[in-house]
Amino acid sequence: MGKAENVTGSPAAQHQLDLVPDALLAGRAADGDTAAFEALARRHGPLMRATARRLTGSQADADDVVQETLVQAWKQLDNLRDPAAVKGWLLRIVGSRSIDHLRRRRNHAGLDAVENQVEHDAKPQAADPEHSAVITSRVEALKAALAKLPEEQRRCWVLKEFNDQSYEEIALTLNISQASVRGRLARARITLARMMEEWR
Amino acid sequence: MTEHLEPGSIQSAGASPAVAEELLGVIQGVEGVSAVYPAQPLWQSIAGAAMAAVTGEILPLVSVTGDGDALAVKARIGVGTLRPAPSVAREVAGAVRTHLLPRDAAVEVYVVKVGP
Amino acid sequence: MNTPEDSLDCGHSLAELSTYLDTGEIADPAHLHSCPECQAGLASLRRLSQLGSELLTSDLADAGSGHDDWMQSILDNLRLELRPGRSIPLQAGNPKDTLWETEGSISALIRSVADALPGTAAGKCRLHGDVTTPGAGITVDVEIAVVYGHPLDERAEELRRELAQTLAFQTELNIETINITVRDVLEPPSAADQVPSPPTSPAPTTREDQP
Repeated sequence: MGKAENVTGSPAAQHQLDLVPDALLAGRAADGDTAAFEALARRHGPLMRATARRLTGSQADADDVVQETLVQAWKQLDNLRDPAAVKGWLLRIVGSRSIDHLRRRRNHAGLDAVENQVEHDAKPQAADPEHSAVITSRVEALKAALAKLPEEQRRCWVLKEFNDQSYEEIALTLNISQASVRGRLARARITLARMMEEWR
Repeated sequence: MTEHLEPGSIQSAGASPAVAEELLGVIQGVEGVSAVYPAQPLWQSIAGAAMAAVTGEILPLVSVTGDGDALAVKARIGVGTLRPAPSVAREVAGAVRTHLLPRDAAVEVYVVKVGP
Repeated sequence: MNTPEDSLDCGHSLAELSTYLDTGEIADPAHLHSCPECQAGLASLRRLSQLGSELLTSDLADAGSGHDDWMQSILDNLRLELRPGRSIPLQAGNPKDTLWETEGSISALIRSVADALPGTAAGKCRLHGDVTTPGAGITVDVEIAVVYGHPLDERAEELRRELAQTLAFQTELNIETINITVRDVLEPPSAADQVPSPPTSPAPTTREDQP
């Protein structure tokens, strides 16, 4: 359908759903309106994908996570109490699906193989002189620094900085205490800030 | 979510994966077939798909079960707009049946997508 | 959690500042405002947070638009799976074969026909009647949204004709009635196009257009 619209020249109507507010779309989606659900998916998909990318460390996994998230969201739309909060709700599902995804891969593939793949995917390998030449911007440097963080810290940081989740929400997603969230987030920031100062 | 999946129909008990692979080609060769989807529904194979991404293993799209003489084949297809979906479905079943001769087969075809 | 290196000379810690950044809460606000070390630490954390926003912007650019192919292919997959609906039997050429169309594939087909008409977008779409029994009379209900300015009656009539034709071609259903309801009238795109979040609620103008 999405492709058809280009051919048939009625992108206007399709894209008009993009102007309908979240709350209305979520309500309609809960009623079984798939077009409304797809409009939500398109609207929040990029942030979901970007978040999953940083949480899982790989683009292929990120797309799997987005797809799983949308499957789960569709099945559980009835549980969404506040339709206006659908964005945060989707992102919380992205968070828990990302964690599950990694855990499941570990269980199946054996820790070493996955660790290697994830690291390979996520790290521009700043230590390697050939690669460090690639790090031309502070953003690239942050990517590298982030990839070096202990996983739990990185998760807390991504959920906070990318998704603006509260300590309570992060705690629920990661199944740890709020005190742990506060501590890990602080350690993540301290490490990152120090690495970034060094990079300068 | 209603799904029609017989428990334990997960690919080839006795039928070689090669047969499933052959049938995939046969089905794709039928005019009007725009896509062949995994016979096992996606949401049940999500974990499998993730694993396949890691191991590079490809899940067979067409399900073939049963022993050498009586095979049960299940395929889920998409059909384009140019030919009528019911005719395409019948041709797919016929092509599978013909390909498997002299073995007997029960062919189940789901058209899960029609159109562009 | 305070390792020596996280502690500032003033006795406070970067961890406290990190929490302050998120919650605005800290034990000694007066100190915070007057302590150069705390201010420097805070500035460093804020720079990091700013850089985090830049990373997010960069990652969002990498992720692409929700109208790109990656999302389309995810949505295509979802459509097949989420609402397969009932299985609609098709006549088989051989008695041992069983052939079906999923209800979801027909709903999607109907929506694609509606979306293909200029100025219309499909909403809900339902097949009423026993689609699992060959020959049973079926009623199709389709809701559409029409962009403001397009003639509602004409669009509905055009869609009804197109649907009748398409369904006769692509299914073996005995379609008795096609009901088209205009559910929304949508603002034309140009006006609000640039605004990321809509300034006005699009009026859910409900018009029961045709039976």
